Amino acid sequence: MGSSGALTYEDKALRKAVKAIFRHHIHYSPSPFFGHLDTEQDKEPETEDSIKTEDSPETEDSSETDLGAEQILENKKPLETVGQLKKMSDSDGEYVADNGSDDDLAAHQVSSRHGTRSTGPVRGPAGSATRGGDTNAGTSRRRAKWEDIQRSWDNVIEGADGSINTAVENLREATKRKRLLRDTTPLQRGIIRHLILVLDLSFAMVEKDMRPTRYLLTMQYATEFVTEYFEQNPISQLGIIGMRDGIAIRISDMSGNPTEHIEKLKKLRDQEPKGNPSLQNALEMSRAALFNAPSHGTREVLIIFGALLSSDPGDIHETIASLITDRIRVSVVGLAARIFICDELCKKTNAGDAGNYHVAMDDRNFRDLVMAMCTPPVTRTKKQSESSLLMMGFPSRTSGAGKAPSFCACHSKLTRGGYLCSRCESKVCSLPAECPACGLTLILSTHLARSYHHLFPLKNWVEVPWSQANRSKACFACLSPFPEIPSGALNGTHTDVDIKASSESGRYACEVCGNHFCVDCDVMAHETVHNCPGCQSDTRGQAEIEQDHATNGDVMVIG
Amino acid sequence: MSVSTSASFEYLERLPGVTFRRLYQQPSTALAIFRRMLPHLAKTFVMALLYMTRPLPLTDLDSWVQPNSKRERDQALSLLSRLHIVTITAPSRDDPQTVTLTSNFGSSLRLALTGGGEHQSFGVPSHNALANMDAAFLDDYARDQWEGILHYVVSSVAENRGHGGDGPTASVKHLLEVGKLVTKGKFTGGGITQAGFSFLLQEVNAQVWTMLLLWIENAEQMGLDSVEVLSFLFMLGSLELGRAYSTSTLSESQRQMLTYLVDFGLVYVPSTGTTQFYPTRLATTLTSDATALRSVSAGFDAALTAASGAKGFIIIETNYRLYAYTSSPLQIAVLALFTRLGTRYPNMVSGRITRDSVARAISHGITSDQIISYLGTHAHPQLVKVASASGNPVLPPTVVDQIRLWQIENERMKATPGFLFRDFDNLKEYEACVRYADEIGVLTWKSDAKRMFFVTRHEQLRDYIKSRKGK
Amino acid sequence: MNAVDGSDHYEVVTGGASPSLLVLVLDTNPHAWALLSQTLPLSKAIANLLVFINAHLAFNNANQVAIVASHSHRAAWLYPRTPSTSDDVEMSDGSRNVDNANKYRPFALIEEAILTSLRELISTTTEADVGSTTTTQMAGALTLALSYINKATMSYSGVSTESKAPPTSLETTDKPTGLQSRILVVSVSGDLAHQYIPIMNTTFAAQRLQIPIDILKLAGDTVFLQQASDATKGIYMQLRNLQGLLQYLMMAFLPDQVARKHLIAPTQEVVDFRAACFCHRKVVDIGFVCSICLSIFCSPPEGAICLTCSTHLALGEYGGKPAVVPRKKKKKKRINGGVETGSARGTPAPGE
Repeated sequence: MGSSGALTYEDKALRKAVKAIFRHHIHYSPSPFFGHLDTEQDKEPETEDSIKTEDSPETEDSSETDLGAEQILENKKPLETVGQLKKMSDSDGEYVADNGSDDDLAAHQVSSRHGTRSTGPVRGPAGSATRGGDTNAGTSRRRAKWEDIQRSWDNVIEGADGSINTAVENLREATKRKRLLRDTTPLQRGIIRHLILVLDLSFAMVEKDMRPTRYLLTMQYATEFVTEYFEQNPISQLGIIGMRDGIAIRISDMSGNPTEHIEKLKKLRDQEPKGNPSLQNALEMSRAALFNAPSHGTREVLIIFGALLSSDPGDIHETIASLITDRIRVSVVGLAARIFICDELCKKTNAGDAGNYHVAMDDRNFRDLVMAMCTPPVTRTKKQSESSLLMMGFPSRTSGAGKAPSFCACHSKLTRGGYLCSRCESKVCSLPAECPACGLTLILSTHLARSYHHLFPLKNWVEVPWSQANRSKACFACLSPFPEIPSGALNGTHTDVDIKASSESGRYACEVCGNHFCVDCDVMAHETVHNCPGCQSDTRGQAEIEQDHATNGDVMVIG
Repeated sequence: MSVSTSASFEYLERLPGVTFRRLYQQPSTALAIFRRMLPHLAKTFVMALLYMTRPLPLTDLDSWVQPNSKRERDQALSLLSRLHIVTITAPSRDDPQTVTLTSNFGSSLRLALTGGGEHQSFGVPSHNALANMDAAFLDDYARDQWEGILHYVVSSVAENRGHGGDGPTASVKHLLEVGKLVTKGKFTGGGITQAGFSFLLQEVNAQVWTMLLLWIENAEQMGLDSVEVLSFLFMLGSLELGRAYSTSTLSESQRQMLTYLVDFGLVYVPSTGTTQFYPTRLATTLTSDATALRSVSAGFDAALTAASGAKGFIIIETNYRLYAYTSSPLQIAVLALFTRLGTRYPNMVSGRITRDSVARAISHGITSDQIISYLGTHAHPQLVKVASASGNPVLPPTVVDQIRLWQIENERMKATPGFLFRDFDNLKEYEACVRYADEIGVLTWKSDAKRMFFVTRHEQLRDYIKSRKGK
Repeated sequence: MNAVDGSDHYEVVTGGASPSLLVLVLDTNPHAWALLSQTLPLSKAIANLLVFINAHLAFNNANQVAIVASHSHRAAWLYPRTPSTSDDVEMSDGSRNVDNANKYRPFALIEEAILTSLRELISTTTEADVGSTTTTQMAGALTLALSYINKATMSYSGVSTESKAPPTSLETTDKPTGLQSRILVVSVSGDLAHQYIPIMNTTFAAQRLQIPIDILKLAGDTVFLQQASDATKGIYMQLRNLQGLLQYLMMAFLPDQVARKHLIAPTQEVVDFRAACFCHRKVVDIGFVCSICLSIFCSPPEGAICLTCSTHLALGEYGGKPAVVPRKKKKKKRINGGVETGSARGTPAPGE
């Protein structure tokens, strides 16, 4: 990370970066009402250790707000991170030099707003690779990828003492920084996407150049992708199509339910990939599937393509042309080598930009590329409206059992069940949709609610020293008993109050309600439920608490 | 369903309806049979019917069940009627078929759920209990007794005979012989029978049931009433470990039975107070089902770890190598029945399953299914964990298949007792009957060309054919 | 014998019904029960529920049960009981009913514990508590229930607490083994709009953990509980005939997930998907949504500033489409790259 020259910029650039971060964050962190959170960082310093211990394989949805750094390092190819960071920063004109302590500060300022514990590490840095890809491929360099080889050991700089500690440290910083930078993009959860995931199930997927096989790895990543996609795009739709034996097969229909897709993918795992893939057939089927997608949403196709050929029944260029007419954008992640037709496909459907075509270098890179697609794409319409207040309807679903079927307003099909527009009562088949009669945007409120825990994050719980442990015998939430207080623990010297990885007494206390919890419930409350069992369970005396501490997971908009 | 379930269950199925009616007078029996003998869906049906005041039309029941679960539904109903838990009215033209719980079973199960009545079928606790009667002591006691019996069976065939323990009492020995688990003249060697092998390879709970059923059959000859005996056993299953119970409310034959149960290690009777008894874990888990034993009760594991080496100690690899973390001579002797043991370490033996070793076991009368189920039930927790994490079978499929193939090498036939149906009037009738037989799960074989098929039991089919004729 | 196959044998080894854990959330809101006292007094409902609990336990030796009370001012465990923090003696008068030879002892123990803690809960409720609020702490009770299930699942599958976080639910779909957990909410209270977000949080958590939330509604109507059961594939039932409570419980709510695969569950005729607004906590069916943070308001907020994220929001043009927030870096590059290459209005819809 040739940073010697950059050191002079250090302070100014860093400030700028931090400011930028705050500026963006202000959009979705409820700061005016959560004023205390800003100061919290002061009294609650965080160390690398505390982050490390909170890492767990558990997936977490909150990629946007997520800052746990450790895992990224493992997921990234070191050489890439460094290289990309540099380019990215340059293009922004706000290059930030690496300086351990200051970066830490920046990291913690943001992270403390969101509560690191609540937002554990995501599965990989979604979104990061897109940017890298943009700068790499988007400028249409002449040099092929293999000419531009970088070796990880070229980047390692020995420190003065001959160790590579500083280099490792820098890498870590780099990944952390990357997270931060991604965080600065405005939150785009409102966007409605319609994406078809096309999986290659052809003979080419039997290859074992990615362990265990391309096929199994793809299935695994596809499953992760589905989860991540719906976490990041709560009101979007997804469908899955496979290519095998020269035809396109439908794996799962367009729907907003991740579980269904994952179950279908699971069943697929037992089958053997075979036959030729057919890009054209898959694209035509995707086009058909996206045909009904409402106009305000995006229409996207993501192809994971392992083969180097496509056996098509007709002229694929015609298909590409019709894709363009239908405003469908195609992205391709290749597993073998760059193919002209894929390049063409991506370019044409993305307004001349081939930045959506990537070839995975290895399995890590493959994962990053796939996960990058979770981030909503850029809108190219001129009407880049500002943040606005949208009127939306939350219709009720009627099963219509026992009634005569009626025509739906969207497809004019005879159906029994459906959703009735809350303004004009016309019936639509599925949500989200725009009411064909009155134009009201209709969505499921549950889709919106899925992301609310980002708005009202649960505060971190604090470790309880032995001296205060006598208040509780068992976890408040799950009633599992706590370890007994050892004799002598109380009169012993007060262990320094530094943040430690785990609580010595096995208890963690919510600062708002003061109840004690076990570590499992801590993880559960912060990663899954996003409620404090204590605060939600007892409202006595909550009134004054709420005024002091703002809230813990509940809404507090009107004082 | 585990082996044990089917063993006790087949016995029960043979009982006449009158016996059932008397059995179901005890709430504890109704509860135990409900819990132990019924498949899940059948339990659901029973519970739905339990507080229903009027008979439920069969068509209503059908509309409650998913159309593609018809098979499960038919099997559940067929079993329920075989156990005399529900009565299904005969089909007639006027009234639709309805289903109700038999009154005895219904009222007993209701009593079991709500409490009340004066049946005292859940055991009368004795109040002047000995203070030092903790679970550990009872577990030790049960283990000693039961291991003694197993050792006796094993040592009648294994080489390393003559190790410690004073062996079971004479009455137990007699029972083993009567039950043809061992044959007399064991000192001439090879006294264990096929039944004995399968006995050894069962899990503890199943072993206990096998012994008890033997005993009950025996007891009938001794003039004891099997209903009383059975309901006493079911009561034992509902008692709590570590509590003293009074013998004062027991009937004469039940008191008589108590002495035998002491021999089996199911019950402990302190030498001082003869008016009370303590059930051991072997008794209290009598009516637990297999998954329950496998899962929750950690105490049970602890109690039986030595008794049978019970919970998982065997690791088997795809290359037929077998590692068993045990030092119990009993376990090693059992393993030696079908493996070629290679090395022995202080806490482990290793060996491999070979064609010869399996062939030898089969020549002793052990079946491949027994070996496989033994390996399965005693699989090391690690094996189970990995398997359940990846969704694979616990045992390597190659090994399982190979063991079966080794058996098939010699045995190409399997006998199933049952009934042959033939000479149907027309194809339509034949097909309808076959389909029905298949749905209720009794069909074993059929030949469309010859229009005949073979079933394991015929009662329901008979009714069905009659009802067809009636139409 | 012809079918030599490892997989069908596997079924035999680990098949069978897996134990299930039922967490019952009992709404003990005094106001609501007072209204019901004519038709279904609390005592009678409890008696029915106890039979139901016993029936659940009778299904399988390993079946477990836990009961949370969602009271007017707090949510509390009824069973298992919270260990008291002070060192006073455990109550010893609980053995009155327990030694009864006419009752299966585990049933007796649980009933005793439930009744004792229920009595305790009611006796500790002061008039001030009752007077201060008319709702119930449903969100807290659900959170407690989920925490308990989480812990029970962990200890059942034998995963030590340190080594591994709870398994990601989506990976472990329809696995035959493992603890089958479900939540049954017996609800009598009405509107829960002030707990909208916590309840939705628990709903999504239950969805992730694949725990169905069954709702048995004795009185009142709660939009969010209906949504919760819909999202988690639970059963929602509004009782019309309160006398038949036990039969409803036995027929509809007793079957666990395994049995439900074979049964046709009662369905909801209409699922109400309305949301609660953030400003006045009103339940609305048409709302104004901030495009940045997705907060819902029942009317355009004052000064057009989002009350949650304080973004200045462009007003007007209601029914406008959700807009994409511009991304600075890429915008420069892309916009001149081509504006919407395709046809302006996509493919013609079939109706046109």
